[in-house]
Amino acid sequence: MATSMRGLTQFIADIRGARVRDLEEKRINKEMANIRKKFKGSCLDIRNLFPQLTEQIYLDGNLDGYQKKKYVAKIIFTYILGYKVDVGHMEAVNLISSPKYSEKQIGYLAVTLLMHENSDFLRLVVNSIRKDLDGNNEIDNCLALHAIANVGGSEMAEALAEDVHRLLISPTSQTFVKKKAALTLLRLYRKHPDVIPAAEWALRIVSIMDDADLGVVICVTSLVMALAQDHLDAYAVCYTKAVDRLHRLVIEHEYSATYAYYKVPSPWLQVKLLRLLQYYPPSEDPTIRSVLHQVLQTIMNNSAEPTRNVQHNNAQHAVLFEAIGLAIHLDSASPLVGTAAVLLARFISSKETNVRYLGLDTMAHLAARAESLEPIKRHQSTIILSLRDKDISVRRRALDLLYSMCDVDNSELIVGELLRYLRVADYALREEMVLKIAILTEKYASSYKWYVDTILQLISAAGDHVGDEVWYRVVQIVTNTEDLQEYAAKVVFEHLKAPSTHESLVKVGGYILGEYGHLIANEPGYSPMEQFQVLHTKSQFCIASTRSLLLSTYIKWVNVFPEIKPQLVNIFERYRHVLDAELQQRACEFYALASRPDDDELLQNVCEEMPPFPPRVSALLGRLNMKHGDTEDKRTWVHGGKEANLDRDIVKRKADGSFAAVGDGQDIMGSLAGLEISASSAEAGGAIPDPVISTKPPRLTTGPNMDRWFDKLTYTAEGVLYEDDQVQIGVKSRYQGHLGQLAVYIGNKVSAPLTSFTTRIHVSDPDALSVTFAKMPPSTIGPRTQTQQLLHIECKQMFTTPPILSVSYLAGSHQTLSIRLPIVVTKFFEHVKLGAADFFERWKLIGGPPREDQAIFSIELNSAGQLDLAKHRQVVSGHRLNLLDDIDPNPNNLVAAGVLHMSVEGKVGCLLRLEPNREAKLCRLTLRSTSETVATEVRKLVQQPLKTDS
Amino acid sequence: MISAFFIFNQKGEVLISRLYRTDFKRSIADVFRIQVVSNSDVRSPIITLGSTSFFHVRINNLYVVAVTKNNANAALVFEFCYRFINIAKSYFGKIDEESVKNNFVLIYELIDEINDFGYPQNSEIDTLKSYITTESVVSSAIAAEESSKITTQATGATSWRRGDVKYKKNEAFVDVIEIVNLSMSAKGTVLRADVDGHIQMRAYLSGTPECKFGLNDKLVIDKSERGIGDAVELDDCRFHQCVRLNDFDATRTISFIPPDGEFELMRYRSTSNVKLPLRVIPTVNEIGTTQVAYTVTVKANFNNKLSATNVVLRIPTPLNTTTVDCKVATGKAKYVPAENVVVWKIPRIQGGSECTFTGTASLTSTTTRQVWARPPIDVDFQVLMFTASGLIVRFLKVFEKSNYQSVKWVRYLTKASGSYQIRF
Repeated sequence: MATSMRGLTQFIADIRGARVRDLEEKRINKEMANIRKKFKGSCLDIRNLFPQLTEQIYLDGNLDGYQKKKYVAKIIFTYILGYKVDVGHMEAVNLISSPKYSEKQIGYLAVTLLMHENSDFLRLVVNSIRKDLDGNNEIDNCLALHAIANVGGSEMAEALAEDVHRLLISPTSQTFVKKKAALTLLRLYRKHPDVIPAAEWALRIVSIMDDADLGVVICVTSLVMALAQDHLDAYAVCYTKAVDRLHRLVIEHEYSATYAYYKVPSPWLQVKLLRLLQYYPPSEDPTIRSVLHQVLQTIMNNSAEPTRNVQHNNAQHAVLFEAIGLAIHLDSASPLVGTAAVLLARFISSKETNVRYLGLDTMAHLAARAESLEPIKRHQSTIILSLRDKDISVRRRALDLLYSMCDVDNSELIVGELLRYLRVADYALREEMVLKIAILTEKYASSYKWYVDTILQLISAAGDHVGDEVWYRVVQIVTNTEDLQEYAAKVVFEHLKAPSTHESLVKVGGYILGEYGHLIANEPGYSPMEQFQVLHTKSQFCIASTRSLLLSTYIKWVNVFPEIKPQLVNIFERYRHVLDAELQQRACEFYALASRPDDDELLQNVCEEMPPFPPRVSALLGRLNMKHGDTEDKRTWVHGGKEANLDRDIVKRKADGSFAAVGDGQDIMGSLAGLEISASSAEAGGAIPDPVISTKPPRLTTGPNMDRWFDKLTYTAEGVLYEDDQVQIGVKSRYQGHLGQLAVYIGNKVSAPLTSFTTRIHVSDPDALSVTFAKMPPSTIGPRTQTQQLLHIECKQMFTTPPILSVSYLAGSHQTLSIRLPIVVTKFFEHVKLGAADFFERWKLIGGPPREDQAIFSIELNSAGQLDLAKHRQVVSGHRLNLLDDIDPNPNNLVAAGVLHMSVEGKVGCLLRLEPNREAKLCRLTLRSTSETVATEVRKLVQQPLKTDS
Repeated sequence: MISAFFIFNQKGEVLISRLYRTDFKRSIADVFRIQVVSNSDVRSPIITLGSTSFFHVRINNLYVVAVTKNNANAALVFEFCYRFINIAKSYFGKIDEESVKNNFVLIYELIDEINDFGYPQNSEIDTLKSYITTESVVSSAIAAEESSKITTQATGATSWRRGDVKYKKNEAFVDVIEIVNLSMSAKGTVLRADVDGHIQMRAYLSGTPECKFGLNDKLVIDKSERGIGDAVELDDCRFHQCVRLNDFDATRTISFIPPDGEFELMRYRSTSNVKLPLRVIPTVNEIGTTQVAYTVTVKANFNNKLSATNVVLRIPTPLNTTTVDCKVATGKAKYVPAENVVVWKIPRIQGGSECTFTGTASLTSTTTRQVWARPPIDVDFQVLMFTASGLIVRFLKVFEKSNYQSVKWVRYLTKASGSYQIRF
């Protein structure tokens, strides 16, 4: 292409050859004038065109596609050199619709470079882009996708997101088109999250995670990661898929050689999948858990031995760190985490900076989650040493880790260490350190004395980096703790004696000595005069606000120390003439107050001791949390101990639950303001919908035979559950007491494989019934083959709704079936043998309603006009009730008994009588059970296949 | 004093580097390159970084730079730089990158001669030429003789003139050259008009002549005497070192013993009563958004025996011009897209006459509508035997012991290049 455009090459060569800028400018001016002349003929005034876009008229006669391409290319080159370009946009738009690739390419290039996302011209382009997206030429598709991703304007997103999505899910798309489509969608989502109906597309997008091409999988996983963060429930399916894919990659080594990076199977994909799994709460499904465990175990074993190859190590470590993160997320007490801790210990003393960094970061994650900090504390000295690492980011991580791993036992050591380090720490790090030290000191203070000592040391050591929150907090705590006041006053006084003190310390000193100075005034060395002198010598170096605080201190002293009143009054006198309005006002008022006669009670009343502060959330934590900026991939944990993470989870759930947008941000603002306890979070706490209930059961697939198949299976052990053109689903079941096994056979009836095959079980009441897969279902079913899946069933309590099996697969398009599984309460009945006497004794014992449930309904006679006794017997015994003969004298009547086995609620007996009447074509069904719900439910189940279809 | 002297080219490459003192390293040149040459924001000719000051003069894409660490007299440093430029011009005609590269040995020789340990020395071109020659070989006898002469001359009363000059025909040429600067508003009011003039003299006179120079009768040179109607007022007069300033201060007479050959006798500026030789009347109308119509008339405002030559008008066009349709009766007009102007060249305009240019520029449409800034029309021209300030040389008298007759020639030239601007 470049070789064919000689004019362009020449132009670029000329510009490159220009010795000075003036020459370059001249050359460009000349060229632009030429282009203007050439384009002049081809384009009318666009401003006139905009009102009626339909009437685009082009006098296109004198420029062919090649020339246009060449000139637009020149314009692009001029533009990227930094010159202003304001012609050629229309030509670029025209080039896009050209049939030739090279012209189209230049057109797209111009559109992405020259037009910003709100440009009016983009409206003209949207249609051409849509045409290219719809086209059969993959290369055109890709060009269009690039343009959408690069420009990414909101109008474009709204107009084209649908088409991009179609391209992503279309079975005819090439893999590279799918990849680009996924990434384009990701880019659009990041820019305009509301344009994409993420929840609606969830199943369809997740199903592509089963694509045969790993490249597509990586791209789609990136997309799913972004979407799943905001729509956890809608994308829950991806959990299984991710686990399955990890299993296939790590254990079964099912990947093409091109995706192995230094023998590690596609580390990028692994990392993404492991990260994705961390967004979700740990799965309850034991199968998935065990597979996941196996995967993590393998990953850790693989990386136990570092190799010599740096790249190989990097890839392994990347996967390993994410795996450790996941292991911690799943269960911080598992033996895996124990292994991980050992590995991490090795990493934090590694020679490589990156490894140390990651090691410390992951260890901080561990400390934030783990029940016991013991394994970490073993390496405390190494971590403290890391504070002196030569790399600042490592130092930061070490600080985070120390903050997270601090508890009552090691707080004095860690805080002492941090204080010592603070003196030499980087300025960038100090503010954060000060906050963390302040929080740790407060949280794990073993004694108030230690607290006051440490904080005052902190203030005098870090000075400028101490935020106001820190000293406010000291004042609060001292005021609220009576035993502390005298000691605090003494210590502050000692600190103030130092030749140079920081402003914050003067403020603390001013407040505390003012309030509690009188407590120590009688001891030698702490006399009122000495207190006054120490404080007043500092005042001249302070800013106005500190001075005004000191004035308040003085008026308090006027009250308690009459012996230094003349000096104090003298100061007020002087301050009455300062220029600062606040200071002047205070001085005037205090002067007036102090000069009142001695027996006046006003001063005493004004200077009453401060009442304790109401208990208040520390503003420090809020300040610290504010520091974490939101990144694209959200962290799944915060620094700090286990409680911090628990708090965070609760806050998050609240935020999710309340419909009002009460984000973390506002909470932080609330607590930062400190004085007004955030009302927003209290409101948010009001309405917490139960997260379990919010997951709705899938809508059932309907079909003509669905109910018949289901009803039949309620009293038989095997049969067809569902059948259509593509699949056939059959079941086979076996029950023993409260346990059961159900085999689901899924047959593919078409001559193409069913891909992205997913099965899920939805149980409406997991406390009553548990249904789990024995192993992970395969993701593909070959043409005309059948797959079997075994389900383990356990009945814990009485239940009424059968579980729902959701099957989804790709066969051309994406199909989802939701079918009730024939697991009903009668399946858990066991036979009992009862004689006539026994039967009637129990029958009477149970008695009438509410423990009896009776129904009269019409029945059909068989072809001979007789009662269909065989069927009656089959249904009743199919429901696993023991038919008791010889009890009822009428042979048509059936009597049966059974015991329901449940693992939690125990056994429940149940008696049945069925009395059909041939003449009336009616039947009376009576159930008596010790549990009324059981009676009703069994009656319904037995009645269902017997009654006529009305 | 000057600690270092450099010449850079446009790209910041060092062409000439001379350190007069040890307080700098050669790498100081990099500082200048980074801070000044590569930094397009810097316009000031003096940059002080820390205790180091860079003085630079730009000429023909060269930077002539003097560097000092002391609080040197800035005027002196700049005078030194300009003096160097003049010397270079007289030695090898023009000064640009190529000539500097071709003559770098000579330049080193010169800058060592005119400056010693940072202190400027004798920089009189004639004197320099007597001992820094471009001829390769000088026989040792002549060299010895020459050198003795040099000593006497350099230390004598007239260091700028040798005593033994002899000409068959004694001639003196005086050129009064004035450069007019004008900026005129769209309404035709003069916003600024001034004249930079200098009197260039070539003296081919024998012996040690004493010259006296007389200008207009009504000449105001001192500012305190302002306000005499149509008098020619000169500001900021500067004289060649040969002029006796005592006499000038006392009696306003310019008397001097000229150096041999060419020199610049005086330099002046005039800001009042400037006579504008060319009057330009532009009418420019934007017709819609697609056309601009021009009518530009030039009137020659001087005696019709004289004429302006090499008149070039640069008439700006909007940035989105495609073509300009030009109609002129005299000269040639052409659209030059590289500079976004129409260049109208008129070889000659007789005094009192006028010429007109009419044209239409057609514009292309642009994506974003921008208002055209309408830069001013720029006029270059030359008018012989005309002075914009009105300055006239009344007499030039030559007295010499031998009382020879001398021929005196006076020529006037007014010109403008790049700063005669008319807005519209």
